[in-house]
Amino acid sequence: MKQGPARRRRRTAGGALLLAPPGTAALVGPFVTPADIPSDGMPYARGDGHPLGTDALGRDVLTLVLRGGASALGVACAAVALAVAVGAVLGLAAAASHRRWLDDLLMRPVELLLPLPSFLVISVVGVGWRGQPVAVALAVAALNVPAVARLLRATALDAASGPVAEAMRLQGESPTRILFGHVGRAVLPVAAADAGTRVGATVFTVAAANFLGLGLDPTSPDWGVLIAASREALFVQPWAVCAPTLLLVMFTVGANLLADGLMPRGAEPGGRAAAWNQ
Amino acid sequence: MEPVIEVRGLTARAGTATLLDGIDLTVAPGEVTALVGPSGSGKTTAALALLGEAAPGVRLTGTVSVAGTQVVSAQGPTGSAPAARGRLVAYMPQHPAHALHPARRIGPVLTELARLHRPDSARSRSAAAAHAAVALRTAGLPDGGTIRRRFPHQFSGGQRQRVALAQVLACGPRVVVLDEPSTGLDTVARMRLAGELTRLVDGGITVLLLSHDLDLVRAVAARTVLLARGRVVATGPTEDVLPAEPPPAPPASASGPLPSPEGDSRGEVTALQAHGLSAWIRPGHRGEVLHDVTVGVREGGCTAIVGPSGSGKTVLARCLAGLHERHRGRISLFGESLPVLRHRTPRQIRGVQYVWQEVRNSFDERRTVVEQVARTAVRLRRLSPEAAERRATEVCERLGLAPGDTRRHAASLSGGELQRAALARALLAEPDVLICDEITTALDAASTELVTAELARLRRESHTAVLWIGHDLELVERLADDLVVLDEGTVVESGGCHSVLSSPGSETTRLLLRSRHLGTRSASPSAPAPPDVRGEEEPCP
Amino acid sequence: MARYALRRCGWTVVQLAVLSVVVFLLTNLLPGDAATVDFNEQAGLDQVAQLREQMGLDRPLSERFVDWTGSLLTGDLGTSLVGGEPVSEVLSRSVGVTAALAAITLLLLVPLAVVLGLLTGLRAGGRTDRVVSAVTLTLASVPDFVLALLLVGVVSLRLGWLPATWVGADDQWWQRPELFVLPVTVLLARTVGGLSRQIRAGTIASLNAGYTVQARRLGVPPARLVLRHVLPGAAVPGVQELARAGDQLLGGVLVTEAVFAIPGTATALVEAVRNRDVPTVQALTLALAAVACLLNLVADLVGRRLAPRTEVLR
Repeated sequence: MKQGPARRRRRTAGGALLLAPPGTAALVGPFVTPADIPSDGMPYARGDGHPLGTDALGRDVLTLVLRGGASALGVACAAVALAVAVGAVLGLAAAASHRRWLDDLLMRPVELLLPLPSFLVISVVGVGWRGQPVAVALAVAALNVPAVARLLRATALDAASGPVAEAMRLQGESPTRILFGHVGRAVLPVAAADAGTRVGATVFTVAAANFLGLGLDPTSPDWGVLIAASREALFVQPWAVCAPTLLLVMFTVGANLLADGLMPRGAEPGGRAAAWNQ
Repeated sequence: MEPVIEVRGLTARAGTATLLDGIDLTVAPGEVTALVGPSGSGKTTAALALLGEAAPGVRLTGTVSVAGTQVVSAQGPTGSAPAARGRLVAYMPQHPAHALHPARRIGPVLTELARLHRPDSARSRSAAAAHAAVALRTAGLPDGGTIRRRFPHQFSGGQRQRVALAQVLACGPRVVVLDEPSTGLDTVARMRLAGELTRLVDGGITVLLLSHDLDLVRAVAARTVLLARGRVVATGPTEDVLPAEPPPAPPASASGPLPSPEGDSRGEVTALQAHGLSAWIRPGHRGEVLHDVTVGVREGGCTAIVGPSGSGKTVLARCLAGLHERHRGRISLFGESLPVLRHRTPRQIRGVQYVWQEVRNSFDERRTVVEQVARTAVRLRRLSPEAAERRATEVCERLGLAPGDTRRHAASLSGGELQRAALARALLAEPDVLICDEITTALDAASTELVTAELARLRRESHTAVLWIGHDLELVERLADDLVVLDEGTVVESGGCHSVLSSPGSETTRLLLRSRHLGTRSASPSAPAPPDVRGEEEPCP
Repeated sequence: MARYALRRCGWTVVQLAVLSVVVFLLTNLLPGDAATVDFNEQAGLDQVAQLREQMGLDRPLSERFVDWTGSLLTGDLGTSLVGGEPVSEVLSRSVGVTAALAAITLLLLVPLAVVLGLLTGLRAGGRTDRVVSAVTLTLASVPDFVLALLLVGVVSLRLGWLPATWVGADDQWWQRPELFVLPVTVLLARTVGGLSRQIRAGTIASLNAGYTVQARRLGVPPARLVLRHVLPGAAVPGVQELARAGDQLLGGVLVTEAVFAIPGTATALVEAVRNRDVPTVQALTLALAAVACLLNLVADLVGRRLAPRTEVLR
């Protein structure tokens, strides 16, 4: 794909800019808002000391939005971070193993879990451990591990068995230097870009589970829950739906753009197709 | 006879650079015309102009007509050029294997092309199929029922080239343009190619052959046009333009005489030895490509391994270097058993160094070439980074690489320059044994001399043993004292280089020698190309 | 190819077997069961115990698993704990709507994504490319439940053009195509972006590939070049993405069925999860997982045909 470096930089910068508001809300919000949000207004009131109005229970939407980012984004981000960590260990270990049985032992079970429909697991876990973000995060992480492990194994194998690595081995470079100096540098951007798109998708899935009432408590201040709870008031008090939506959209668009910018040129979608033509 | 191609005053400009400067070219029907010149002389630009095609940013002027259809006029390619492609003139690229669609069976593509270009096939499926069959046969492929249902990857490398030729022929063109068809072919395959070109012409097709392979040109072309830096410098019957090769003279520029086969540099100690080596490429001992091979190279000696493509030469080299792990048998260095590379001690790694043919992607894009070359000395000779870099620059310079070039990244160097940088990377280890796998394929004559001279110096002064793999028997004869002939993974003959070549005992060796009348080329084109032309290959974009 | 297909099918069977174990364990991990949900407040402890015994919930896990797989193999999906009707009944009642929804979406998705991918890929960097890419990226970044809410709010409630829910449609849904417009739109918006992006990338790669250049030089006219030479190469990443879109689609179906009150499998599943109706959850989850498995199988086989050299299964 022909893309000027300037355009890539613009994309990366745009992504970071879009990520800033939802990121700040999630990081700072919990510290500037009370843990228990009082129902001090009329249901779906607008103005009247509430800049973004109130929700069905008369709670201040601005406070809710600031409070709700941590659970909406935190679960997804923590889960993806965990998935990448576990997936990287599995994938790199499988790639580094010189024994085929060890590779199979590590990768086959992981591949078995690939077709498990993610939504089902999340809803089962969400219902089972109602209101337990840790349980949901663990489930989401477990669901993402197979794909991450597979991708990173393939990338690492490519780099580790490629001519650059062979040349380095013939020069007597230590395995550590080959791993960190070459294989790691090849894997890192791929892992980062993959994590970017994965975070976006995971935020969705978690929010959708909460929206369906299969996750958190229906009164908890989560963006997904908030959207679900205020849906009937879309035209009466649009901010109750639009504010959390806007933040969610900014987050996912930002994550996607950032991932695009980070993606190394050879590993872009279709990169493999290009490779077998050469 | 009416010429089938008429080119008058063809000029190609890219920005301010002039790629072609007023070329005149006439191709008579029913014979092979060769367009000869070093890389960068504008052969491909001229050939693509026959299709009315120019690379992005290149402007064409002049007139080009093919079989009466004008494809380039003073205003550039004409509107009738697209209709001429395939039907009148068909182009076969330099690496034809890339020109095959990996996801389509070859039969449907052949019939598709026949239906597009042949009036009788447009409506009749059977006529198109018949044309496809003829094309396959003419290209030298058996036309069984199943072959047309195969995908390109189900053919061997040489067969893929034939499939690409069959595609060209299925169009039924008046003129076929072949761009460097002998690149990468071993001598036997080259001889076969020469036969095929002659058969094409006998079949009534006009051939324009672009090549810098002068022996091939002499063997097949009736007329030759010599191109240098975008200008025609000579044209006429081939024997006038390219007089017969003088007998191979000893290289003038070599620094010091090459060691004679009986020279005193050859010790009696065996440096590297493989005994009973078998190797396979798929897990579980499947796909065996080497069967019980025994080879050795003496200290300060040079053993050459020759054989047709696919005989297992590279796998053998990779086994010895420790890179190919799926093997069985004993490999030893001065009697000490060698494990696979990742279990070798630094001392053992230093002892055996390997340089291979396709080196471009063995250089890391993030570091400069000299940095990577110098690492060998840092790791294996315990030099300080500064000393290693000085040493790297020195060795590179001896191989003809200016310090300014090596301080750049690999992408901006040509294939021939990288080839020599890779050799320098191995030489910095000061190895006991150097394995060279076709390391001169991308080099012009002058660079080849530099490389062989450096190897000779090492053998003389450091008693380095060289294991040389190559197609070029003339070069092998000059370099090697022992010869091993490999065919289909088995050693069919081995012994002293001269005795094997003078009295071959196996069919493979005889075949290699028979095809040699094409293969006794000195790599230098006798074209008046300036010796400093950075020749070999364009750097990657 | 035949050998590969056979091996790949065998692998799918193993996958299904393992999935059934995972599904069984996962559903049995649900704290609380149907007995406690049914009678949370009013029931006394002994009543709950009695009910548990009646439902067979007091037996050890391994015993129940053997029973369950045994009856699965004979085609018996078990009995719903809530309604008392066979789960196969629940499945057959609800599967039609969901299958229709998915089929219509796929039928529209594939040509739409191919057209968009080709359009943007052939003119990469141009204005069409930038506009279409921006729109699909934004659409893919709006959560589907929000999109569904907005569509219902604007198109149905404000403008009154299309029905907002399926409530009241009951069994006549196949006679009312207008019911499908909004749900299918939501499902398309979610999946078309990813797929068309893959096809765009494939188109660019294929367009610059040696085989396309050669076909052009052999005089293959532009339209034919795109359809017969560029597209088969471009489809490779697309097919893999389509299998991945299956999982997204499933999540999308759950949300759209909930928002539009569609009486489909997903609704039945959400309902069953809420009620801790373990046999129903097990059977429906397994059915959906099997569909995902088969989708992957088909994608791998088609991908193998399109790019014969890529080893999908090591």
